[in-house]
Amino acid sequence: MNFKSAVITFPGSNCDRDALTYLKDLTQGEVLNIWHEESSLPNVDLVILPGGFSFGDYLRSGAMASKSKIIKDVISHANDGRYLLGICNGFQILTEIGLLKGALIQNKSIKFLGKDCYIKKKFNNKFNCNIQNNEVLRIPVAHNEGNFYCDQETLNYLHDEELIAFEYCSGEYSLDDANINGSLDNIAGITNKNKNVLGMMPHPERAYQDFHLSNHGKKIIESILS
Amino acid sequence: MNDEIILQHGLTLEEFKVIKDYLKRDLTIEELGIFSAMWNEHCCYKTSKKWLKKLPTNNEIVIQGPGENAGIIDVKDNDGIAFKIESHNHPSYIEPFNGSATGVGGILRDIFTMGARPIATLDSIRFGNISSDKTKYLLNGVVHGIGHYGNCIGIPNIGGECEFDKSYDYNNLVNAMAIGHVKNDSIFYSKPKTIGGLIVYIGSKTGKDGIHGASMASDVFSEDDEDEKRPSVQVGDPFMEKLLMEGCLELMSSGLIESMQDMGAAGITSSSVEMASKGNVGVHINLDKVPLRQHLTPYEILLSESQERMLAVIEKDNNEKIKEILKKWQIDYEVIGEITNTKRVVFSSNEKIVVDLPVDIIVDDAPEYDREFSLPKKRKYRNFDISNLSIEKTVSNYMNNLNYLDKSWIYNQYDSTVMGDTIKEPGQSSGVVKIHNTDKAIGATTDCNPLYIRINPEKGMIHTVLEAYRNLVASNIKPMAITNNLNFASPLDPNIMGEIVLSITGLSNIAKKLDTPIVSGNVSLYNQTNDRPINPTPVIGMVGCNSNWKKILQNKFINEDDELILLGNSLGIDFSPYYLQDQKIVSSISEYNELSMPDIDLEIKTAKLIQEAADKNLIQSCNDISRGGVFMSLMKMTQKKLGFSIMLDDDKDIFCEYSAGYILTINPKNKDRIVSMLKKERINFLSIGQVKLDSFEINSKKFNYSDMIDKYYKNFAKIIN
Amino acid sequence: MRFKILIRLKNQILEPQGKVIEQSLKSLGFEEFSNIRQGKLIEIDLPDSLNERERLEKIDAACKKLLVNEIIEEYEVLG
Repeated sequence: MNFKSAVITFPGSNCDRDALTYLKDLTQGEVLNIWHEESSLPNVDLVILPGGFSFGDYLRSGAMASKSKIIKDVISHANDGRYLLGICNGFQILTEIGLLKGALIQNKSIKFLGKDCYIKKKFNNKFNCNIQNNEVLRIPVAHNEGNFYCDQETLNYLHDEELIAFEYCSGEYSLDDANINGSLDNIAGITNKNKNVLGMMPHPERAYQDFHLSNHGKKIIESILS
Repeated sequence: MNDEIILQHGLTLEEFKVIKDYLKRDLTIEELGIFSAMWNEHCCYKTSKKWLKKLPTNNEIVIQGPGENAGIIDVKDNDGIAFKIESHNHPSYIEPFNGSATGVGGILRDIFTMGARPIATLDSIRFGNISSDKTKYLLNGVVHGIGHYGNCIGIPNIGGECEFDKSYDYNNLVNAMAIGHVKNDSIFYSKPKTIGGLIVYIGSKTGKDGIHGASMASDVFSEDDEDEKRPSVQVGDPFMEKLLMEGCLELMSSGLIESMQDMGAAGITSSSVEMASKGNVGVHINLDKVPLRQHLTPYEILLSESQERMLAVIEKDNNEKIKEILKKWQIDYEVIGEITNTKRVVFSSNEKIVVDLPVDIIVDDAPEYDREFSLPKKRKYRNFDISNLSIEKTVSNYMNNLNYLDKSWIYNQYDSTVMGDTIKEPGQSSGVVKIHNTDKAIGATTDCNPLYIRINPEKGMIHTVLEAYRNLVASNIKPMAITNNLNFASPLDPNIMGEIVLSITGLSNIAKKLDTPIVSGNVSLYNQTNDRPINPTPVIGMVGCNSNWKKILQNKFINEDDELILLGNSLGIDFSPYYLQDQKIVSSISEYNELSMPDIDLEIKTAKLIQEAADKNLIQSCNDISRGGVFMSLMKMTQKKLGFSIMLDDDKDIFCEYSAGYILTINPKNKDRIVSMLKKERINFLSIGQVKLDSFEINSKKFNYSDMIDKYYKNFAKIIN
Repeated sequence: MRFKILIRLKNQILEPQGKVIEQSLKSLGFEEFSNIRQGKLIEIDLPDSLNERERLEKIDAACKKLLVNEIIEEYEVLG
């Protein structure tokens, strides 16, 4: 399979190596690492905007990264219908760019949250098609601003167009509420209208190896490749 | 230079006289500042050096022992693990968020300055009585600060410990440990090699942060001091440090750098002096070239502890290439001096020389004291009546004591899985990460039993190290080496000096027997306020390796009906200090019995057996037994709806402390093989029960499973709010 | 000339820090304080040579382009 992918690194991205390893292990195709100052993005099938604290999360998480030189090409890549996956800070960057609706604001607890959480598929798309309905995935989150917010009109739109990809739920190891950060309607990940751009707060690249607490994160890449 | 200024700088009049006699002239104020920083306890170990020299620091796996920024051990195939623990106690009392954040920043720089990429952190934190608002404020601030720094820079926190005791009411402790991975043929040292090499400054601009921080670490507080000390606390910028780390690692792997030293306590002063001392060379630095945030006098530049700064030595020819790399990472860079052959430390400003000192007097001739110390008094044996204490009451006491409750309130504020290589997260007996692109697993733990050390420092230290040892063994990690953070009150009190001397003696003793040398460490003295000393708290950070991550043991129950096997010997109630303290049977330190003699041979034998059994896949999971005995060990193993049902002949053995104590869960089909291995090695064991769904049964007493789980996992947050 | 831009979360958005600050103040005896919300202040220097209209135009442009996320925030230029 000749599947090419790329991970963009911003100053302060700290899950870029994790995303590169994830892609190398699961796609067997060429994986490129692109610095945010590059003016052009090579033709690839999938781009990942990784997690981390790009630009220190200063001003707003993802705000300054969304104005980087490389973003113009990232937008073209998305408009061409190719896959774009934003994980955690990447999700925040996608909402700041405007490729995804809504915004991620501070966790309701006002504290950083670093633990395993549980998500399940809400509406089907090319990133979760290999996941069964009601199948619960156990994947770590690690964020200060994971609380998804949008106005009522946008929320209706997300439901009507079936753009909600994942929602938080309870799992067999959990002792807390399903909704870990106050997100509207337990939203953990959404797509754009064309469903080729996905933003999600949990980190699938930390849940795919045999030594990880779960390997459910594999299913995202498996879905894309299927 | 009057007496008052000298004393304000933390030097005794005798020490000042030594310097003046050596130089045969008066000192400049800048030179006084240098001695105040370099001759305080934190930088020159004047009280502890004599005793620290006795520690075993070398064996065939040690690549770098104490004396560099971090210790490094060889884990084969050209892989090295660099690690160290350091304290940031006083700053975190003054301003808990920044004080603890910059503690993390400092220890990380110590790791990457050696060319090692940090791969994990651990934190050992201690606070006073939680009923005080001040303690709540400190707890929140410290955890927030540690999380803020570590999360942003993207290094996982994999473990640590947290203790509450009233002796820390006015002196909370923050010890930060970091571990990094380096290729053994690419280690960087602080020793410069080339005379004429350029000294370059890399990182954040210098401001007034932390001026006199290193001397603050050695000062005893009085309660009124707080507000005056506040402006001295450094403010950290973890984003800047992430860029600095990436930039420096890139520089070091490019071959463009000769040597590197981070600017930590005592900033540019200590890093340039240490470079000169290691390389047996001199340095000449022009302070006018130092990038500044605001106007600073030469004195202030010398003592500033602004964060995220490094000093490096380079060959002239590489200057331009280095600038390019650092530009990409948005890092400030300036050539500020050069290496000379004079063996003198020279600083100039405004075309005048403000410091001109021979390196020797600052470093090699720094004072070394042989302080008076007293030995602990002998204790009379007594036995304790616990007939009033039912199992229910005992358990209830634990469920209301922060020291026993699940601490996910703390570590859920830390990112434990960034970098994608975490095998065991916080809340386990030890944290474990895989070395990227290899099959090797590195395990680490931090431990201290201040109560034991108060009773008998030498034996207590042996017990402490053995607990760290068991924590690693329970994960099937082979313990290899130690880093230690000695936190004590004032050494001018002979009793406390005795605690220092004897814990170091005990540490030396046990480290030799276990063949786990001490490769790095830190000393923090004078932790007391208004004559209220902290308990002696020599924290041990222990690190080890298993070459195959697949053999790492988890701590949790895995299958219903797995058998529970108890290894080790109960110390009995009379010899279980934590039981006696926490069940409120003893109220004064003088009432405890002498500590039991640790059975080191049994510990080593048991560790070997666990490793062999684990390598043969005969063990489902394992946990060590420590504070809270068998009961707490089992409590920590619960997950999903899996609980236990156990029977022990003597009720009391459920809660006492143990020697070489472990709980193994075994698939019944493997029981015979394990039993025969144990019998062959003559290791005592008991079959105490089974893993059971929805069950919490101790000697036929049933507790409600959900209720217990709820209390154990949720009471911490309830009590601290 | 120095300008201050006040950035706030829109009213309808839950601002959890304000609530915690309110509780802390109340526990310190400041019973009368209520409805607290925490925002952000950005201070900038602009050349004196610009006239007022040019200044406001530039500030608005910077806010719309980067400083403010209009999905969740609103802003006010002070002085």
